[in-house]
Amino acid sequence: MAEIEERGSTHVYKVNRISKEEIDSMVERCVYEEAPYCNAACPLKLDTRGMLKAVAEGDLKKALQIYEKAAPFPLILSMGCEAPCEAKCRLCEVGDGVAIRDVEAAVARHGQQSRLGSIFRTRKKKTAAIFGSGLFPLFLSAELEKKAYPVTVFCEEEDLSAFLHCETPFLDAESFALELKRLKGKDISFVFNCDITPSFFEEKRTEFDILCSSSEVSSRLFPDAAFLPDLMLCEEEQLVTAREGGVMAAAYGAKKAALTVDRLAQNLDPRNNRGKEGPSESRLYTDLSEAVALNRIPKHGSGYTPEEAVAEAKRCIQCHCEECMKSCAYLRHYKKYPGLLSKEIYNNTQIIMGDHQLNKPMNACSLCGQCTVVCPNGFDMAHVCHIARQNMVSTDKMPLAPHEFALLDMVFSNGDAFLSRPQPGHEQCRYVFFPGCQASAIAPETVKAAYADLRDRLDGGVALMLGCCGAICDWAGRYEMSGQTREFIDRELSKLGDPIVIAGCPTCAKELKTHKNLQVKGIWDVLLELGLPEGAHGLDRPAAMHDSCGARGDASTQNAIRSIAKQLGCELVDTPYSGDRSPCCGYGGLTAYANREVASEMTAQCLDRSDAPYISYCMACRDRFARAGRESKHILELVYGTDAGSPPDISEKRWNRLTLKNELLRDLWLEEPLEMKLNYELNYTPEARRIMDDRMILTDDVIAVIDSYRETGEAVLDSTSGLLIARKRIGNATFWVQFTRDAENSYTVHGAYSHRMNVERRQG
Amino acid sequence: MAIERTYYTIDPEGKLQCMKCGVPLVKGKAKFMYLDNGFPVELPVCPVCGFVYVPEELALGKVASVERALEDK
Ligand code: SF4
Ligand code: SF4
Ligand code: SF4
Ligand SMILES: [Zn+2]
Repeated sequence: MAEIEERGSTHVYKVNRISKEEIDSMVERCVYEEAPYCNAACPLKLDTRGMLKAVAEGDLKKALQIYEKAAPFPLILSMGCEAPCEAKCRLCEVGDGVAIRDVEAAVARHGQQSRLGSIFRTRKKKTAAIFGSGLFPLFLSAELEKKAYPVTVFCEEEDLSAFLHCETPFLDAESFALELKRLKGKDISFVFNCDITPSFFEEKRTEFDILCSSSEVSSRLFPDAAFLPDLMLCEEEQLVTAREGGVMAAAYGAKKAALTVDRLAQNLDPRNNRGKEGPSESRLYTDLSEAVALNRIPKHGSGYTPEEAVAEAKRCIQCHCEECMKSCAYLRHYKKYPGLLSKEIYNNTQIIMGDHQLNKPMNACSLCGQCTVVCPNGFDMAHVCHIARQNMVSTDKMPLAPHEFALLDMVFSNGDAFLSRPQPGHEQCRYVFFPGCQASAIAPETVKAAYADLRDRLDGGVALMLGCCGAICDWAGRYEMSGQTREFIDRELSKLGDPIVIAGCPTCAKELKTHKNLQVKGIWDVLLELGLPEGAHGLDRPAAMHDSCGARGDASTQNAIRSIAKQLGCELVDTPYSGDRSPCCGYGGLTAYANREVASEMTAQCLDRSDAPYISYCMACRDRFARAGRESKHILELVYGTDAGSPPDISEKRWNRLTLKNELLRDLWLEEPLEMKLNYELNYTPEARRIMDDRMILTDDVIAVIDSYRETGEAVLDSTSGLLIARKRIGNATFWVQFTRDAENSYTVHGAYSHRMNVERRQG
Repeated sequence: MAIERTYYTIDPEGKLQCMKCGVPLVKGKAKFMYLDNGFPVELPVCPVCGFVYVPEELALGKVASVERALEDK
């Protein structure tokens, strides 16, 4: 029995196979978190999408909270803003863009205010003085109050009302009253009736930490001082101020100025660390194929009613990128977009002590590469998960359990079930047929027929190699095993005279093409060159073609298969997500072993595309679709008129491989087959077979337990069930078999289970 | 005497018999070990040959869930 070593628990860090920079640059590609177009265009960075969502849900109070975060005086802003967001709304490409400003105005007018003032807030130590009046001082005072600076405004006006009114004559009485109330609610001190002379200013300069002013004050007091518009600063006077007028300029200027105040208050250079300011181009991607052209809700008189605002906000399609989510069942299962998921998976690989909570997601991706094709930015989740698995293996943190069955199966394929022989009568061959481990396991008769055909019709000799290409250990991230498998296959190939490989499986073809100096063809290419064998015919009903992930990006293979299907007389129905965009059947990346739930969601997603029978060109796809109850054919079954029948269970898959090897050895190479008979009789109840398949327990495991029982006599009799229970430790697991002894040399197996923990007697 | 902590106890209640020794299994001390962690338990054991029996429910329940937790450490 082959064994793979369980990992140790020594916390040694071997090689980190991925750097933080690499992962960061990968994460960067995903634009899921990118600001939507409207939001990016807004200099104030108003969360337009969030606000519109709240409005669409009828929650004007929440919408107002969002609006106030960007605009402390929403009524003033909604009236004076030039709405650069509207021009960038994606809906403009199909019809009317969303009337964002009108919705904002309705939010400002009808949204209920929720702020209770800021009495209990702790204030900052550094104090700020603002000289003058107008929109900039008004907005800046609110921005600084929000940042918890104690703010004092010195103005010429005689009261708050006059202060507010001086640059907002466009407000109607109702709006003015609302904004005045808002201003009164803020924690700002005012000194009215000031005569802001140079001496007055110089006197106050010593009393405050930060000085700010209106443009009128700064240009009057310091007409020659240079002004830095990006910082809103007269640097030589250390005065935060403005130049331009207008609502938007003042609001945006106040934001920039508030940031400058922050930096000055900490004695830091205001030029640095300012983050992203002002309008930008969004990198977001949004699919508009389902967006419908609609007109704006018309505005009457003084603006939208709450109902009209809700209706208009509902037109917003909430721009997001979800191309990968739409197409990948795995990503939908974990409800995380690749940028975030990759970050978390990377962090998972860096944990030395503690729980690796991302092991499961990392091992559930089928490494199929579909996301890379559907993502507008080519995000390569497969690469992230693959390299993360390798990293876990290299740091000895990768649990063996999720992949052990598959790895042992590969060891079996390249061990007991391995066969490599030149064609009888040839010492060296021009070709070697490599059908792939799944073909031998699932459709041995098809393998025989294909090999006979190739022998028949190709000159120069066709050798046969039954084994695994190494995709299994590669998927598991076991890179050392991959290297060994590669060497093993190369060695065997050289014994055959380094023939041209004819692969029966696109994944094998892809894997073998990575070997140095190896020429690889698909059997589909050969069949097209030779013409289909006589008698080959397709299905009599329209069928759906499922493209294998092994052929992603390989148009020549995809087309070859379609040509064969056409020559067979198949009528193919169109399915969404075909060709390069094809989803994985759930076998790829060992998902079917590591996470059966996700794997079956993947299968279901594949089958959702059509009700027709499926034709595929990878045996694993054929098998998974048949298991899910769909009529499913491998293209070679049609070419050779063989029917692989209902899908085999895990033990039959092994049995099929051994039998195929034995029969071929006997019939073609006239070699004595291996003894495969037991020297006692062993039966299984159907329930036992079902349980064993479900728990990944092989008949070989059961036989080993019964052998051991026959040798040692060790077993327990459970008087409740009347069953005997014996056990044996095989590799990293202990297998238990429940059985009856029907006669001297005859047993019936009723059930089986296993555990990985070792159990021992303990003294004292 | 200090009370020893055991994670799990199963009493065979006379329903299990060791086939090799022909005696009933008794509640006895055993230990589960996995990935360098050990857990003292009390399981049905043969008082003569020391066979330790892990019932199906235990293997598929508690043991399996502890295995998963340790694997992701
Ligand atoms: S398709 Fe997915 S991975 Fe690509 S940018 Fe969009 S959300 Fe990110
Ligand atoms: S549809 Fe909505 S989220 Fe998209 S750009 Fe327009 S307003 Fe913004
Ligand atoms: S399963 Fe395929 S499509 Fe989904 S994340 Fe993994 S590689 Fe991408
Ligand atoms: Zn005993």
